[in-house]
Amino acid sequence: MNMHDTEDMPPDVDYDEDEPSFSDPEDFVDDIDDEELLGDLLREKPQEADGIDSVIVVDNVPQVGPERLEKLKNVIHKIFSKFGKITNEFYPEGPDGSTKGYIFLEYGAPTQALDAVKNADGYKLDKQHTFRVNVFTDFDKYMNICDEWETPEKQPFKDFGNMRHWMEDPDCRDQYSVIYESGERTAIFNNDPKDPIVAEERARWTETYVRWSPKGTYLATFHQRGIALWGGEKFKQIQRFSHQGVSLIDFSPCERYVVTFSPLMDTKEDPQAIIIWDILTGQKKRGFHCESSAHWPIFKLWFSFYNYFRRYPLSKTHSLLQSMGLLDKKSLKISGIKDFSWSPGDNIIAFWVPEDKDIPARVTLMQLPSRQEIRVRNLFNVVDCKLHWQRQGDYLCVKVDRTPKGTQGVVTNFEIFRMREKQVPVDVVEMKGDPESKNAFAWEPNGSKFAVLHGESPRINASFYHVKNNGKIELISKYSVTVMNGALAFVDTSDCTMMNIAEHYMASDVEWDPTGRYVVTSVSWWSHKVDNAYWLWTFQGRLLQKNNKDRFCQLLWRPRPPTLLPLDAIKAIKKDLKKYSKIFEQKDRLSQSKASKELVDKRRSMMEDYRRYREAALLQHQEQKAARLELRGGVDTDELDSNIDDWEEETIEFFINEEIIPLGETGCVRVRRVCEAGDCVVVLLLNCWRLCCSGVILTWQFPPPFRLSGGVVIQHIMNFNKKTCLNSACVVFVAFIFFCVCFCFRL
Amino acid sequence: MKPILLQGHERSITQIKYNREGDLLFTVAKDTVANVWYSVNGERLGTYNGHTGAVWCVDCDWDTKNVLTGSADNSCRLWDCETGKQLAMLNTSSAVRTCGFDFSGNIIMFSTDKQMGYQCYLNYFDLRDPQQIEDNQPYLTVPCAESKITSAVWGPLGEFVIAGHENGEINQFSAKSGEILKKVKEHSKQINDIQTSVDLTMVITASKDCSSKLFDSTTLDHIKTFKTERPVNSAAISPIMDHVVMGGGQEAMEVTTTSTRIGKFEARFFHAAYEEEFGRVKGHFGPINCVAFHPDGKSYSSGGEDGYTRIHYFDPQYFDFELEA
Repeated sequence: MNMHDTEDMPPDVDYDEDEPSFSDPEDFVDDIDDEELLGDLLREKPQEADGIDSVIVVDNVPQVGPERLEKLKNVIHKIFSKFGKITNEFYPEGPDGSTKGYIFLEYGAPTQALDAVKNADGYKLDKQHTFRVNVFTDFDKYMNICDEWETPEKQPFKDFGNMRHWMEDPDCRDQYSVIYESGERTAIFNNDPKDPIVAEERARWTETYVRWSPKGTYLATFHQRGIALWGGEKFKQIQRFSHQGVSLIDFSPCERYVVTFSPLMDTKEDPQAIIIWDILTGQKKRGFHCESSAHWPIFKLWFSFYNYFRRYPLSKTHSLLQSMGLLDKKSLKISGIKDFSWSPGDNIIAFWVPEDKDIPARVTLMQLPSRQEIRVRNLFNVVDCKLHWQRQGDYLCVKVDRTPKGTQGVVTNFEIFRMREKQVPVDVVEMKGDPESKNAFAWEPNGSKFAVLHGESPRINASFYHVKNNGKIELISKYSVTVMNGALAFVDTSDCTMMNIAEHYMASDVEWDPTGRYVVTSVSWWSHKVDNAYWLWTFQGRLLQKNNKDRFCQLLWRPRPPTLLPLDAIKAIKKDLKKYSKIFEQKDRLSQSKASKELVDKRRSMMEDYRRYREAALLQHQEQKAARLELRGGVDTDELDSNIDDWEEETIEFFINEEIIPLGETGCVRVRRVCEAGDCVVVLLLNCWRLCCSGVILTWQFPPPFRLSGGVVIQHIMNFNKKTCLNSACVVFVAFIFFCVCFCFRL
Repeated sequence: MKPILLQGHERSITQIKYNREGDLLFTVAKDTVANVWYSVNGERLGTYNGHTGAVWCVDCDWDTKNVLTGSADNSCRLWDCETGKQLAMLNTSSAVRTCGFDFSGNIIMFSTDKQMGYQCYLNYFDLRDPQQIEDNQPYLTVPCAESKITSAVWGPLGEFVIAGHENGEINQFSAKSGEILKKVKEHSKQINDIQTSVDLTMVITASKDCSSKLFDSTTLDHIKTFKTERPVNSAAISPIMDHVVMGGGQEAMEVTTTSTRIGKFEARFFHAAYEEEFGRVKGHFGPINCVAFHPDGKSYSSGGEDGYTRIHYFDPQYFDFELEA
């Protein structure tokens, strides 16, 4: 239809007359270059390059005669055309006509060649032939490597001072970091039972949070561009690691390496999700990929590898990592490993695999790197397992949630593996009657006791167990605590006595100091927006300090490195503890008396300043008296009773109260009512059994503002309805109480 | 210390004030009626009826003749204290936030809100000139474009008004020229209340930044700071002791989401010189909006978001108590 219209359109426009000219005027200079105009086309413009970047060399190709060459070519094509179109190929042949076992392939673009190298290298064609794929230019590069060894330039040694300066505190104070004002400010405090002492305070020190290294040498701060490490006496910057968007880090236990994780910046060519750095040199050691939606667990997994290779010279680690990666990938594929955990003490890994059809769930302990299975335990009807190592690796506790056949609900077992004994014997502790409850498990830091929390909120039970040398597990004691938001219970586990029960309302975190003498509970701004504070308690549960900090976020104790004292020296100290404690007690007393004196002095000086100010102000006030008198028409109003002569007494009657009190059947009822007017107390004694008022006692006690004068008139009106009384033995007693108060009023 | 509970308002209390002698207590709330009570026993003496919106402020002159109220119904009204008769009504273009009689009782000031396209003004009327009232024409009006006035009191001798602003500033506005005589900014957030000491030499501020500060009213020198964990809505200075009382608590809009325990709705007593807290008085089940000391210092009152006003007479121990120094 439209077409038709157009065709039929009358030629009412004269095309010949002014046809516009599309050519540029002569003096026109084009200010748009071709790149801007058709950049996308230009990029595809054939380059003059020789295409050498796009060539790959494949080794370990089967050597075949001319008769099977076609077949080989087909196979090669099948494998290598996945990465891009092969534009050229070359199969060098020997004098006998058979191929030489290596081939050259050319792709359309260098990126395709790189892709092929990355993915096809190590490809297993068959048992004898594993492809080795390289970019052609690499051969050139490695051929031209200089034969002479160039010694790397020596880096000047940077002296950061004593990195363990805080350990030299004469009073052995521990340090802790505090982030407050919603992260704006970060401070390092020296912990003191009296008041925290500021060691360092900076604004915008970190963008998110901070972390201490495991021995307390470094403080790591997080920034958008990476992390920074601080240390030494004045917290100077020691090292920086540039890692865009870093969100999680972990230190190696010996503080040699740090591993950082960033959810950004992961590309196929250059693995950057997880990076391992050398702390002392600041060098990037290796980067790793991270699976999509990877968070903390994956990171933990990587860190565990990391943990593992710290025991080996770094040169070995890469191959170890490779093999480790493979090992784990295998188990992932085969058995669907659910969770694993490293022993803190030995090169042992513990992992568990859930039930699969007829194969029961298994918890396996594996020695590494020999991969020898030390102990396998089969479990049935398992829902979930949690692995808890004791800190020295002496014991492993596996918390097993099971649904036994024929029963409803979940039963929780604790399987204790005794690692230090032959065959790794296992003991079981069963938790009955608390299915589906919130269970928490914790080992004693140094020892063989453990604690279990079980039960439904708000009634939580805490049980303490002891693993004896003969393997018996003994329940030491059990407590039942009503848990409110922020309830704290302090228990001495040596004799299992409850030392104190306290509360820090809405507390979100509990942090023990490195010595175990103090504990901090805190309400973090990250979880609650009000009452952000941290409280310091002694280990007995005595509250020492309440530190309110505006928008307080996080408190972390600075860890201490392990003691350098040999065992016998520690024993000697323990033996002479009494001698030391005397010295400390004396010191405490001294500082305490000093503190109270300081407080009194401070108050005194504050009071003096305030008094001085008030005297000056009152003097000025006196000087203005004339002006005041003038403004108020000569009436002195400086004091409340400064013109008492003008006052006149006025009597006002107040209606105080009306009470209707139904009285019970009891013989004698004492009613006591406190009037609203203050401390005026009315006590009525009434014997309603005999239907007569045996006594009315009225006691008056007047609050300060009443000025009583003359007689106080008290009236009672009592209505007794005898009939009601007889029938229901109920007396309705109505008392109207009036009293008059003479009150002074100025006219 | 059993308090006297005054139940005369249907909405939250906005301001309470004693007269000079302290026998009367004026309360205003977000409902439309202003109440006056005997402070000795909490009996209601009467009401001032006429406002049609929330009443934000109240004041009484020194000889208890007139009462001034300012309301969100865009009016400031003058009442006869004894009869409750409305003497004058001054219409404004936005809500009246603060009002007050000067030392002589001859000049009144009130400030209006920045609202509905109108900015905040501070107005001065001279009651001796009936023409001003009749024409609704103040002899002086001061615009406050920067930040609105949220609280104001007269300085000593009626020379200036001390005003606290939404941004935490405190200004002295001259009653003669309207110029700013002094300016300080010690608070970081809105100043909810300013009250003078009984001799008008000091003022105490109450701010949303969780602190109260004591200033000299003439020089505006900062003297003391009292810190809490909650926004402070009101603070008052004891006329006989070196004490201040502060009322506040979690903001009213957040109250419904938390328990009373976390709200901290206690009135808190601080020592004025040591800046230390020494006592708390519980009772309100919402934030305290205003506190006031009786001029004899033997009792104090508090009005809360819960709509109650509580008069508390101090126990004898209060007068004996002293902090060690």
